[in-house]
Formats: sequence, structure tokens, C-alpha cells
Amino acid sequence: MPDAPTPRLVYDAFLITAYHDFYKPAVAPRVIGLALGAALLAELVFSGHLAVRPHEGKDFVLAEKRGGPPRDSLGLWLSELVQGEPASLAVPEWLEYLAISDTQTKTAEHMVVAGLMIRGEQRSRWLGKVQTTYDAADALIAQAPLARLRRYLSSMDRRMPLLDAFLLALTESVGLSKSLYSQMPSGAREYAEGHLRVLPAPLQAIRGHLTAAVADTAITGNL
Amino acid sequence: MSAPSPASAVQSALARDKLGTLSLLHFSLTAATPLTVIAGGVVVMFAVAGQIGIPLGYVIIAASLLLFSVGYTAMARHIANAGAMYAFVARGLGRIPGVAAAWVAATSYCALQVSLYGYLGYVAQGLFASIGLDLPWWAFALVAWLLVGLLGTRAVDINAKVLAVLLTVEVAVVLVFSVSNFANAADGVSFGAFSPTALSGEAAGAVLALAVIGFIGFESPTVYGEEARDRKRTVARATIATVLILAFIYIVSSWSIITAAGDDNVVAAATADFDLMFSLAGDQLGPVWETVGRILLLTSVTAAALSFHNTTARYLFALGREQVVFSWLGRTSVRTCAPVAASATQTVAGGLVIVLWAVLGLDPVVHLFYYLGTASGIGLIALILTCGIAVIVYFARDRRDESAWAARIAPVLAVLAMAGVMYLSVIHFHTLLGVEKGSLLPKLVPIVFAVLALLGAGWGLFLKRARPEVYAGIGHGAKAPLVQAAERAAVPVGAASER
Repeated sequence: MPDAPTPRLVYDAFLITAYHDFYKPAVAPRVIGLALGAALLAELVFSGHLAVRPHEGKDFVLAEKRGGPPRDSLGLWLSELVQGEPASLAVPEWLEYLAISDTQTKTAEHMVVAGLMIRGEQRSRWLGKVQTTYDAADALIAQAPLARLRRYLSSMDRRMPLLDAFLLALTESVGLSKSLYSQMPSGAREYAEGHLRVLPAPLQAIRGHLTAAVADTAITGNL
Repeated sequence: MSAPSPASAVQSALARDKLGTLSLLHFSLTAATPLTVIAGGVVVMFAVAGQIGIPLGYVIIAASLLLFSVGYTAMARHIANAGAMYAFVARGLGRIPGVAAAWVAATSYCALQVSLYGYLGYVAQGLFASIGLDLPWWAFALVAWLLVGLLGTRAVDINAKVLAVLLTVEVAVVLVFSVSNFANAADGVSFGAFSPTALSGEAAGAVLALAVIGFIGFESPTVYGEEARDRKRTVARATIATVLILAFIYIVSSWSIITAAGDDNVVAAATADFDLMFSLAGDQLGPVWETVGRILLLTSVTAAALSFHNTTARYLFALGREQVVFSWLGRTSVRTCAPVAASATQTVAGGLVIVLWAVLGLDPVVHLFYYLGTASGIGLIALILTCGIAVIVYFARDRRDESAWAARIAPVLAVLAMAGVMYLSVIHFHTLLGVEKGSLLPKLVPIVFAVLALLGAGWGLFLKRARPEVYAGIGHGAKAPLVQAAERAAVPVGAASER
């Protein structure tokens, strides 16, 4: 798998899950954390820095020794964390950890540096508390990932790249199927399913655990 | 790949985020609404049963559920989707009985939740009539139905906060009323209510069935098994503490009512006045406390409706995720991640029943709250009993390092106790419904549940033959897609139809 110099998948996952516009709402905060965690894991698996291997009914995340370290700070942070663990942890544990580690802010800050987001401050009217906000530098760029997926689904004339197929799976897993498939021609779901079915096993595992974690959130309310 | 070390940075961060016994206790107790059980259930039990053995009934049920909890929480440590009893049945007795149990469970929870609108309408009608607002019961029921429907589509944590505030106030008021009852004893504190002869004859089954309903919610700590600080101890402690706390509240408050009214007078007093609890408070503490109690009863029934709405929605959601029923029930709200489709389905069911009962002019207390509520009680007792059998079978195959007490002795004792409760409830069901022995209605309810179970089993059989990947995910709830994906990967394309 080729190296990924910038965390493109995690940016796209951020814009799809955390950015809201007229066409698409942002998902629940915990689900954003889970989705960004899944995207970051998938990206590092794709770039060959991490591996997901099944063992005794669990899918473990392992550091891959080949190649240099990830070139971006987000990827480096996670890959060093994985390497620093005394024993391998399973995908659900990493998703849980990434969801509580404020991956959303880390990703947003990364996107500020990349010029994709603009950091701002908002003072609450009653408490006077200052909150950091992140807005897209360009609304069209913010809408681009979902628009790209929808373009694939509407034309169905070419094969989706692997990362976009995973992004599609992630979009479905967080509950944004309606935004994805609304007004799509018949056969779009079958076209998507055809891509999702052939995702490599590690990405399938991340996708499955993300779907399960989102469903768990719906049941327990992350209490 | 060895077991993760507790010294790891990630594990330490995850451990800090885990839930302790008190947190789990908070969630399970918010599923219980003691004022509704005492004011709506206990007083009616005195009237229906014509006996004073209600506190003894609670002692028996609490002991049975404590025994059940031992094996139940032990098995919860070894299975996914541990919040739903049908999942225990699926893993213990097989997937087909699991689907049968799921259908009975979903129907029972749904009926119990809908029945509360009848009592809610009745309580609100009386309360608002006293301030000059005279509206039919169904108008108040529809307002509450709308409120519960809206809150049900919000995230679970918002509901939990609302329920926690209501619970705290409720428990405080129940304790104040109970202390006042003991302080104003009619004939001194009597222990006659705990005599075995105080709970006998054809009413015993009715009392026990109603007592079980009061504890529903005790099973919820297992839902949070994976978030618990110590999966082995935390969930078991919270479940057992829930049963003990609820038992304490129910036993003390029902005993206090007997003490205040007198052993010989309480049945007549309850028959004459279903609001006996508040009437006693009014006499002893003043009319303000009586009004406070009535207002809190209204909020308590609303909280009960909301709590059971969430439980039912969670059940339907898990079944939708497994594709055991309509898969659209597994949809979540994008913004709140609440199980919005399952919640809306439950809301529609509630609305239809309220409208139907209003159009037919049926009584909200007798025909809705009482008939539907007690009928659901039979279904829930059957569910607990089947779940208990599933625990025995599960550990009979492999004890999985659990103690003999947790894996063998306690589950067997619990099944014997619950089988006794089930038997008495079914043969005394006419007493529970207040109809003649041999009439159609008491026979109809067990038949309906049996038919539901058969239909569920039939559906399970169909899934086994026609959709093996869906069948593989039965009982796994939120994790069903993982199991289904693994099954799909294991089965070559086209092979499914050959099975």
C-alpha cells in the first residue's frame, strides 16, 4: 500500500461527520470521535504503518515496522501510541480511546495548519465562556468529500478508489446513509455494496467495529 | 498477543472513563419509578388481593430476583448484547428460542409502557379537575404521549438526567410518607404482614405478578457491562444493589401503609380509596403534602412511561440491527445518535392504543393500565424464567471459571422460584384482572404470548433456512453486523441458498 503523506481520509471524515451545512447535519459528538478514530486507523493501515490482524476472535491493531514513520503529526501520534503499548490492543479499544482523546480538536487543528479550517472564538451569551470554533475555509471544499462520493454513486461508471470506498463505508456507519443515497439512481446501493464487499479484511474489521460502536452508543447513550 | 497490561497509557485512559457501581446504580434506578409502583400498584394490590401480605410478596420476589441476578450477571460477563434478556436465551437455548423470547419481550415492554398512559391520564384528570380544568383522561394521556415521544428521540443521557431528578424527589417523598405512616400507627407497628398466612389463597399469584413488575429495570446494569470499571464485579454489585434498594423502598412503604391504616382496615380502606397513600399523608402531614404527592405521582408515571419507552426502543433497535425484525428499526438519529426509528414506532403504538381506548370509551385504569399492565407482567415473568433456564443451560455446557454457586446453584434456585411465581400468576390471573374464574380473558393472555413465541420461533426457523448470515447475528445486538459480515465472508457466494 502506498504512503499517505497527509491524512486525507481523516480530513474527509471530519468534513463529512463534523461539518454541517444545509444538505447534511453533523453527527453526534461521540460518533464524530469514533469516526475520526476509525479514519485515522484506516489511513495508517492503508499507508502500511499499522496492521489489523485477527487473533482469538479479536481484531488487534499492530505497528508495522517497514518504512519510516508517518509524515504527518496525527498519524505519528497514533502510530507512536500503538508502538508504545506494552501489549496489542483490539480495534474497539482504540476506537474508544480515540473517541475520548478529543481527536476532533486534534484533527481540526491539523486542518487549520493545512489551511482547510479557520479557528475562531465564540463567547457564550450568558456565561461569558469562550469556546474555540472551527469553520471551513471554503464551503465548497467542505462539501467536496460527500459530493465526490455522491458523484461516484450517481454515475456508477468507474471503480471507486479504496480510500473512497472506506469513506463511503464510514459515512454509512455513522448514520449518514440518507445524505449519501438521497435522489440517487436505482442500483446505487448495489454499486456501493459491490465496493464495500471487497474492502480488504483490516478495513472491513475497522468498518464493522465502527458500526458496532455507533450502535452501542445508541443503546447506552455513552453514559 | 498477550493480555493487555494495565500499565498501558491507553488502558489507563480507558479505565478512567469507565463506570463504577454507583454510576450503574444511578442508571438502573432511574429505570424504576417507586412512587408509581407504590401509589399505583401497592394500594391497588391491597384492594385486588384482599390481603395484607404485600410486603411479604415483595420479600419473596426480591429474594427470587437476587438469586436470578447471580447467574444472570455471571453469564453477562461472557456474552455480547448483555442488556437484552432475549440475547441470553439465544446464547443459552439457541437462536430460535431467542427470537421467540425477543418477540415476547418486545411485546411485553411495549404493552407495559402503553398501559402507563391510562394511569397517567387518570391521575392527571383528577389533579387538574381539582383546579377546575376538566378534560377527558385521553387528552392528558396524549400530552404526555407527545412529551415522551419527543424525549424518546433525544439522546439517552438527556433522558437519564430528567429521570434522575424525578427519582431523587420521588424517593424522598416516599420515605417522608413512610416515616409519617410509622409515626402515626393505627395499632402500633405490626409484623402480621410478614406472616405466611398473610399471603395465601387465590390472590397470592396476583400479588407476586404485580410485585415483579415493580422491579423491572433491575436488569439494566448489564447493558453497561463493557463500560463497567470491573466487568466481573461492578455489574453484579449494581444489579444486586438495585434489587435490594427497590425491595427496601417497596417493603417499607407497603408495610407503613398497613401500619397507618391498621392490619384489619387496610384492605377496606384501599378498596374505598385508591389514593390511600396520599389521603394518609394529607391526614398526617397536611393537605400541602397530599398535593405534592399527587403532583409527584403525575411526574413519576410520566417518568415511568419515558423509562419504559427507552427500554422498548432499545429492544426494538437491537432487533432491527440484527435484522430479526424490520431492519429500519435499527436506524439512529444523525444528530443525537438516539434509536429514533424504534422510538417513533413505540410512540405510534402508544398513540394508536390511546386513540382506540378513547374511541371505544374504555376505562383508562381498569382496561388500559390494569389489564395491559398485568398482561405484560405475565410476559415479563415468562421472559425472566426462560432467561433463568438459558443461564443454567449455558453454564451446563461450560462453567467458564464461574463458581458453582453462580453457575449452578443460584440459577437452579432462581428458576424454581420463578417457575412457582409463573404458575401462581397464570392460575390466579383471573384475580389479577378482577374477573370470574374460568372467563375468557385470563386464558387469552397466556395464549397470546404462546402464539407470539411460536410465531417468533417460526420466524427464527425461516431465517435459519433463508438468511443464514442474519441468523448468525441473532442475540448479538449492536455487534450483529460484525457477526453477519464474518458469516458472509465464510459463505461463498451462492452457497447460502444451497443450505
